[in-house]
Amino acid sequence: MKDFHGIIFAYSAAPELRDLVGARTAASLPFCGRYRLIDFALSSMRNAGILDVGIIMQRDYQSLLDHIGSGKAWDMSRRTGGLRMLPPFGLPEYHTGNYTGTIEALNAVATYIRDIPQKYLVLLLGNMCANIDLLPPMRQHRRSGAEITAICADHNPPDSHHRYVVGEDGLVKQILFDRTGEGEGLPSLEGYIINKDTLLKMMDQCKARNQYSFHKNAVAAFLAEGGKMDTYVHPGYAVAIRSVEAYYQASMDMLKTEYRRQMFPADRPVRTKAHEEVSTYYGEAAVSRNSLVADNCKIEGSIENCIIFSGARIEKGARLRNCIVMRGGIVGANADLDYVIADKYCSFSAGTVLTGNSRLPIVVPKGVSI
Amino acid sequence: MKKNCIAMLLAGGQGSRLYALTQKVAKPSVPFGGKYRIIDFPLSNCANSGIDTVGVLTQYRPLQLNSYIGNGQPWDLDPADGGVYILPPYQSAGEKGSWFSGTANAIYQNIGFIEAYDPDNVLILSGDHIYKMDYSDMLREHIEREAACTISVLQVSMEEATRFGIMNLGEDGYVNQFEEKPKQPKSDLASMGIYIFNWKKLREYLIADENDPNSSKDFGKNIIPNMLAAGEKLWPYRFKGYWRDVGTITSLWDANMDMLSPDLINLYDPSWPISSRSPVCPPHYAGESAEIIHSIVTEGCEVNGHVENSVLSPNVIIGQGATVNYSVLMPGAVVENGAIVEYAIVGENTVVHSGAHVGAAPDGTDAWGVATCGPDIEIRSGAAVPSGAMIYTGEEV
Repeated sequence: MKDFHGIIFAYSAAPELRDLVGARTAASLPFCGRYRLIDFALSSMRNAGILDVGIIMQRDYQSLLDHIGSGKAWDMSRRTGGLRMLPPFGLPEYHTGNYTGTIEALNAVATYIRDIPQKYLVLLLGNMCANIDLLPPMRQHRRSGAEITAICADHNPPDSHHRYVVGEDGLVKQILFDRTGEGEGLPSLEGYIINKDTLLKMMDQCKARNQYSFHKNAVAAFLAEGGKMDTYVHPGYAVAIRSVEAYYQASMDMLKTEYRRQMFPADRPVRTKAHEEVSTYYGEAAVSRNSLVADNCKIEGSIENCIIFSGARIEKGARLRNCIVMRGGIVGANADLDYVIADKYCSFSAGTVLTGNSRLPIVVPKGVSI
Repeated sequence: MKKNCIAMLLAGGQGSRLYALTQKVAKPSVPFGGKYRIIDFPLSNCANSGIDTVGVLTQYRPLQLNSYIGNGQPWDLDPADGGVYILPPYQSAGEKGSWFSGTANAIYQNIGFIEAYDPDNVLILSGDHIYKMDYSDMLREHIEREAACTISVLQVSMEEATRFGIMNLGEDGYVNQFEEKPKQPKSDLASMGIYIFNWKKLREYLIADENDPNSSKDFGKNIIPNMLAAGEKLWPYRFKGYWRDVGTITSLWDANMDMLSPDLINLYDPSWPISSRSPVCPPHYAGESAEIIHSIVTEGCEVNGHVENSVLSPNVIIGQGATVNYSVLMPGAVVENGAIVEYAIVGENTVVHSGAHVGAAPDGTDAWGVATCGPDIEIRSGAAVPSGAMIYTGEEV
């Protein structure tokens, strides 16, 4: 789709992710054995033919840069256009804190946005766990003549979110902020298809008024002034990852075949950085039940309801239930782990016992040996 | 662009002794060891040895091989001043054009490609061997020994020696005789079909051989004996380590089973990666009723049954209550609920429907063999494919 340009927000610090975001942004959080969360936004765009994409980031982006490289994995390493990493370059010098809101993040890269040759922009969150087929809303947006098309969920997410109330004319008449539970309106996935001119106008207006929030300031003003906003409901799995609980739940959701089919359909594959090319070996006494296991692992012990990333070693007699073991984790003989999230390159010596619970899984930070 | 050494990979043969598996694809692109195709081994060895220019000679059914190799990027064989090149037979002005009539003729027809790199040495490789080898070490010996040709050799037992091309050495350690499958072997050094030639010398011999109407245009049968007869220096490079020719069903199955024993060939060594162009798929899923024992499994697989002593390629699906034992399942193969696959090779995207039984355990008789199903076959529900059977694509079973 030649007249669409992608923007992915990867600056989110999401403090509720605690130790999981010690040295990375939520968008570069490892997920489902071999991915990073941002792979979903990038792949959604790639699969809709959007190859010109800007990624807005702010700090702690070393792991993000390392993961994305030239963008080749998503066919975004192009001679013309392609992928651009956008650290802040339009901020006043006194600005040292985190971006206060999406509009501020956009204004920090305003010259990039202004120079975009395409007419329409697709905005997605880098920490949205969803494989969105963008072609239907893109077509709808071009046809409807709306200035903004909001991508919404087909279910109410457990975490706080904004909702759009649709009027009889099919257009959005109201935005409801920070809702949870049942109630009217369509839950926003904070993904938008928006005319470039409209977004620039919002950015300028907010800048003049010293406002930062995309939803509470820009969208609210847009609707108040009678702007035309359409909605599109994404049928399928979608969760924004902003807390350890949400991360753990979304990870475990991937063990359900129904969700896996929605997230990894054969015709819209999720692309990611290529890793080493070795199969996983199961030993003579291995037990593996209801688990997802990436390549290059050695499983000699027992895993049940687990997500095991590449390069992990589960030694003989080790017993893991309800665990997430990220890249390069080593679980020693006869260790017993339950409800543990082990970040990259953790190791657990033989016989270690560590038990969390479903409401509060234990997070072991990157590289820690126990 | 001057290069010290470039590689020429012979990938044009049909591999007729793999029967149903090479009915539609060339032998080098047959899936191997879960994540790989056979050609990944020589290509990765080249990249790891610092050889960045590889000509791949294709002839038989090259379509899949061409698209698999692509621009060589998965093996890092895509530098600006070299890379991997597919070299099919071609037609010249005023000539009818011809197929490659032998291994030596294939190189002869591509003298123009080689000359473009003005190499001092040319490495000749086969596309049907599984091994990890540092060609730069062989090249170093080749240069030190000032050899016209260095031949990589493997020490085998005297009984095995009767099945190989055997190198007999003189007192100076250089090769003085080459015997193809000798009945009474005089040495236990078997040629691995891997040669490094001094390019100027090889060029001379290729042109002379091309003009010999009685020649079969083959390295082993013509070029090497001619060089020996002319008194050229041929040096044996002794290779130690895992090396298998996978030209037959049994050897292909055996070598796949070897992948379950990292002490035979360690593919987990990050200093010598074997790379491949792999599909993008999620981690494999082991279901509630899965049992996976002494096996290798890779991305995209879904296992709900019992898998033991087996090699699963990407996107293989094993249904509930199915049993897979001592078998090799190629990409996209499906074993439905309750089906049994044992001592078998199941080709790409072949479906073994529920209740079917493919292969059988060894019964001690000579008639026993690995059962083989080619790609894209439906083994119907309740069918029995006996041991040693060979099922071709398009057959009704």
